[in-house]
Amino acid sequence: MIQVQGLSKSFGKVKAVQDVSFFAPDGQITGLLGPNGAGKSTTLRMLYTLLKPDSGSAHVDGFDVRQSPLEVQRRIGVLADARGLYSRLTSRENIRYYGRLHGIESEVLEKQIDRLASLLDMQAIMDRKTEGFSTGEKLKVAIARALVHEPKNVLLDEPTNGLDVMSTRAMRQFIVRLREEGKCVLFTSHIMQEVAALCDQIVIISGGEVSAMGSPNDLREQTGQESLEDAFVAVIGSEEGLE
Amino acid sequence: MIEKLFIIVQKELLDNLRDYRSWITGLFWALFGPLILGGMIMVLGNTFRDRAEAPLTLPVSGAERAPNLIAFLEQQDIIIEPAPADPEAAVIAGDINVALIIPEEYSEEFSAGETATLQLVLDSTRQSASPDIERTEDALKTYSSYIGVMRLSLRGVSPEVVRVIQIEEVDTATPQSQALIFISMLPYFIIFAIFNGASPVITDATAGERERGSLEPLLINPLPRGWFAMGKMLSAVPFAITNLLITLSGFAAIFRLLPVEDLLGVQIGLDVSALVAIFMICLPIVFLACAIQTLIASFTKTTKEAGTYLPFIGLIPSLPGLALAFLPVKPDLWTMLIPTFGQQILINQFLRSEPILASNIWISSLLTILLAIAVTAIAIKLYEGERIISG
Repeated sequence: MIQVQGLSKSFGKVKAVQDVSFFAPDGQITGLLGPNGAGKSTTLRMLYTLLKPDSGSAHVDGFDVRQSPLEVQRRIGVLADARGLYSRLTSRENIRYYGRLHGIESEVLEKQIDRLASLLDMQAIMDRKTEGFSTGEKLKVAIARALVHEPKNVLLDEPTNGLDVMSTRAMRQFIVRLREEGKCVLFTSHIMQEVAALCDQIVIISGGEVSAMGSPNDLREQTGQESLEDAFVAVIGSEEGLE
Repeated sequence: MIEKLFIIVQKELLDNLRDYRSWITGLFWALFGPLILGGMIMVLGNTFRDRAEAPLTLPVSGAERAPNLIAFLEQQDIIIEPAPADPEAAVIAGDINVALIIPEEYSEEFSAGETATLQLVLDSTRQSASPDIERTEDALKTYSSYIGVMRLSLRGVSPEVVRVIQIEEVDTATPQSQALIFISMLPYFIIFAIFNGASPVITDATAGERERGSLEPLLINPLPRGWFAMGKMLSAVPFAITNLLITLSGFAAIFRLLPVEDLLGVQIGLDVSALVAIFMICLPIVFLACAIQTLIASFTKTTKEAGTYLPFIGLIPSLPGLALAFLPVKPDLWTMLIPTFGQQILINQFLRSEPILASNIWISSLLTILLAIAVTAIAIKLYEGERIISG
């Protein structure tokens, strides 16, 4: 459960995020849609405690990101924009490192790693060093390490970026699966179709501000457009930066 | 919570041990000092020995004009040989070190009792020629004063009249203290090795982490940010200590394997207890080296940028050690207050078997540790800021 209230962040004179508010409940997929540079990643970065908001507040399961960052970090699993792995470590070692930093007991941890390996269909690459992995393989490791502590809230920054068609499909199925497990899923995307197909709730961001919000049906009604894509374009005002 | 610090250290150790190319380069730096010093002792030791033992061969042009002088020189163990046709060219080309030219007027002037002129062809900038030049000049001066004394005696004048003063040199330099000039360079190499042992690990764990894009996800793990800075700093410590041990063993091996006594005429007491003492003195420097480099690498954007700073950073504290070889500094209190400088003086004292004040060891260790803590605190502050992501 993620609650965002009046969040703002500037870098020098650039107002990256202005007065963004939304609520992402458990058991639902919330999509942040917007063109490149709209402020999606900055919003997410404030949620996962990397950046400190200038004003406004954000709560994860009731914990304030500024006041209790460690409590927030324990409750979130994050696929950040930067998703580098340790190339001299194997997939298992990469995932294990994060599990241990979360303080998971080693027996429980190994079982959890095996469970994630079969869930993400990556048993074959578990004991290989991650150097030379394909984008899809790297992404699987990055997701497994983000979810190793079984977080209730999952934040994904452009999770399908750079993936081929098959990997994108698998990724989308995985996101749906997370919802079925009752997790609060929040992800960013600049791909309209993806957001339309997956999300229970859509937050449209452009120019650092929320320009519209609601279920796909709500958005269609608000804009009076037949298709969701037309609704997006009507809200943002142009198609630039979207796919 | 503390065990999470060890998890970070453990991961960095495993990761960096697998990066064998980097740490092997680091090891090379540890052997660099002993190899250079060993080479210098060999080369310079041989020069010392040659200087004392080899007879001087002196090319002379116009030897027939001064049979007396030639006979005198030969008495001084100088082998006379005919000079090449163009002595100046031969000296410039480096074929000979020095040549004596006896001009035509010599015998006339000599017989008339006037001041006779001799020419020495030499290159005063050529270090390797200076023993030959000095010996030739000495022999000629000795001959000059010998003849002068004879002439005065013939005229019934006491030679004391022209010898207003006689200089008696009391040289306190023992052969050992000459050799210690080499030994004074040891602290320089030791500190250099410590810094270079730590830098590949730190570069990889800080700037490398950012470059790979693995820093951002790492910092989302539920640990205070400062722990990451500390973990990364501590993970370089074993590598720096390994380098320190290798360097010290290298020096010990060189003093044991090389016939230092034959080469330099002295014995150097780098025994086990001196090695242990030097190791202990250097331990605080290990922490300081890791802390400084962690701090620097924290705000460099790429490993390449870090790679341009770090060797330079290691050079600064080790430079005074190099200067110590030529400018001896007394172990005053103020020197102990400067981290790494105090230790270099203490190491020198150990090598010279001088009495050492325990308080000096404590003061220099304490201040170095305090500075290391302060630098670590700044690195932690950097990690707590937002800029750590972008560098």
